[in-house]
Amino acid sequence: MAWEYYLVVMLVYLGTDLLAVWGLNLEFGVSGVANLAYIVVVAAGAYTFAICTLGPSSGNGGFQTYIGGFTLPFPLALLAGALAGAVVGTLIGVTGLKRLRQDYQAVAMLVVSLMVATVVSADTGFLNGSAGLALIPNPFADLDPEVARWAYVAVVAFCCLIGFLVLRRFTTGPIGRTLRAMRDDDTAASAAGKNVIGLRLVVQAVGGAFGGLSGALLAGFIGGWSPSAWVYIETLAFLSCVIVGGMGSDRGVSLGTLIIAVLLLQGVQFLPQISSSPGLSEDFGWIILGASTIIFIWFRPQGVLPERRPRYLGKSSSHSPG
Amino acid sequence: MQLIIEAIGFGIATGAVIALGAVGFSVQFGISNILNITYGSLMTLAAYVGLLLINHGVNAWLALVLGAVVVGVVSVVYHRALLAPLVRRGTRAIAMVIVTVSAGIILQYVIVSIAGPESHSYGEQSGSTLHLIGFTLSAGQVAIIVLTASLMLGLHLLLTRTTLGKAMRATSSNRTLARSCGISTDRVSDIAWLISGSLCGAAGVALAITTVSFDFSLGSLFLIPMIAAAVLGGIGQPYGAMLGGLIVGVSSEVAAAVSNPNYKDVVAFMILIIMLLVRPRGLFGAAWSTRRLMEG
Repeated sequence: MAWEYYLVVMLVYLGTDLLAVWGLNLEFGVSGVANLAYIVVVAAGAYTFAICTLGPSSGNGGFQTYIGGFTLPFPLALLAGALAGAVVGTLIGVTGLKRLRQDYQAVAMLVVSLMVATVVSADTGFLNGSAGLALIPNPFADLDPEVARWAYVAVVAFCCLIGFLVLRRFTTGPIGRTLRAMRDDDTAASAAGKNVIGLRLVVQAVGGAFGGLSGALLAGFIGGWSPSAWVYIETLAFLSCVIVGGMGSDRGVSLGTLIIAVLLLQGVQFLPQISSSPGLSEDFGWIILGASTIIFIWFRPQGVLPERRPRYLGKSSSHSPG
Repeated sequence: MQLIIEAIGFGIATGAVIALGAVGFSVQFGISNILNITYGSLMTLAAYVGLLLINHGVNAWLALVLGAVVVGVVSVVYHRALLAPLVRRGTRAIAMVIVTVSAGIILQYVIVSIAGPESHSYGEQSGSTLHLIGFTLSAGQVAIIVLTASLMLGLHLLLTRTTLGKAMRATSSNRTLARSCGISTDRVSDIAWLISGSLCGAAGVALAITTVSFDFSLGSLFLIPMIAAAVLGGIGQPYGAMLGGLIVGVSSEVAAAVSNPNYKDVVAFMILIIMLLVRPRGLFGAAWSTRRLMEG
């Protein structure tokens, strides 16, 4: 049934978006690293998943060329995707280690994102260039299609559950407090004996693993992945979820994902179609997304559900993007 | 060898466009302390304004001037209405980058929804081919090199010889001190945004004249060489950006000639990353405006 299929798509998108937004919030909201190249780790996970399940490049008549080419079982391919995200995330993080102004770092990462997309699109032998990879096998292809769809939803839900448990290890307790201290004042944090550089790299790796897992799950569900799926502005969609929801707050960004990724971006699909310009609703989606980010930074920088202020004796510090 | 000489000639033409863009970007950063990523989309806007004018029979060079004026005015309004109030409200630098990226995306998709996603072309604007000291360039490229050189000279004279230029440099290096010396810093920054926005518009139309065809991603892809040039010269320093544009243009065209042309932007990117890791203040070291880039 159509609505049921739609529901499955929505749930899978919600799950994968949640994983990515949690990862980005860990990096940006909790630790203060503005990773504008976040979509690159999602892409790394998706491509890794693809080449781990597609088999040798000569398969399917050899119509697409790529490096590697294995037939790993589904769970291992997911893990490989998460691992690739962690590695790429750490590499991107190295560019952010220099003690530069945060906005300067963010712009450098934006350029990284543009650059990686240019290189991957141009090099057809690496990951099949701008055409991207197709025919990524569905892990439940043997089952009845309806059962297979819900099985995939269950896998995504399971990954989200595990992801959330891991996430809470980093955003709460001593590690969470240390990361927030580093975000608010990294000089003070290192003066208190915290290894700021080590922590930043760990956060980049963990956040990258979240993005990689998200990308792997998405590639397995859609069955294809190409440079048009990860242009730099996709990072802004995740960033928008973080800012609208309330950066630094796990509950907040989860709500933000629901508002932005589901209600808003899917909502524009219901706008009346104008036959002369079929892409208009998608264009509107981006315009609304950008506008809501700016509106929130202007009027409510702490987001819908702000990060809870720590209750210490005396003056408490607050943090917001504003 | 001939190949490399030709590539150098091409690189100077590319570098001229990059320098136009990078100087404007640098002036904006210098005066307002904002890394304005919307710049890329504003270049795209200029290219489409130019397209509209050329389709109505306007000469390409007049279209360049008009495109520059339109984007100059839009930049002033954009800074006045959105960026300056946000800065006054105490928005942090990192959030400002997110705002300018968002505004760039909004502008880009407004352009797409009006002009459509397909590629456009100005048609044949480059004119006859000229042979100068071993370089083979189109008349259009030569004109853009001359235009850039004269605009840069004009900017140099403005910054060094006029009271307004002095006020701009003073505002750029210390806004509070400039204001307490009686400089109307708001007006100075309006003028700076008008000038830099015009350079942005001129660069956008010039880029569209020199490329075969373009679509809405024109400006965002140009951000790579442009930011590389600005950082190479020390961001916030107009002269550095001029030289940076030339270096990035020539080195990427030469690299494209001797290897895969698809990797043209990779050179610019490598320059940017190396500069960021090794010498983030730019080649010429620590001018006051670039020192602000360091946290410590």
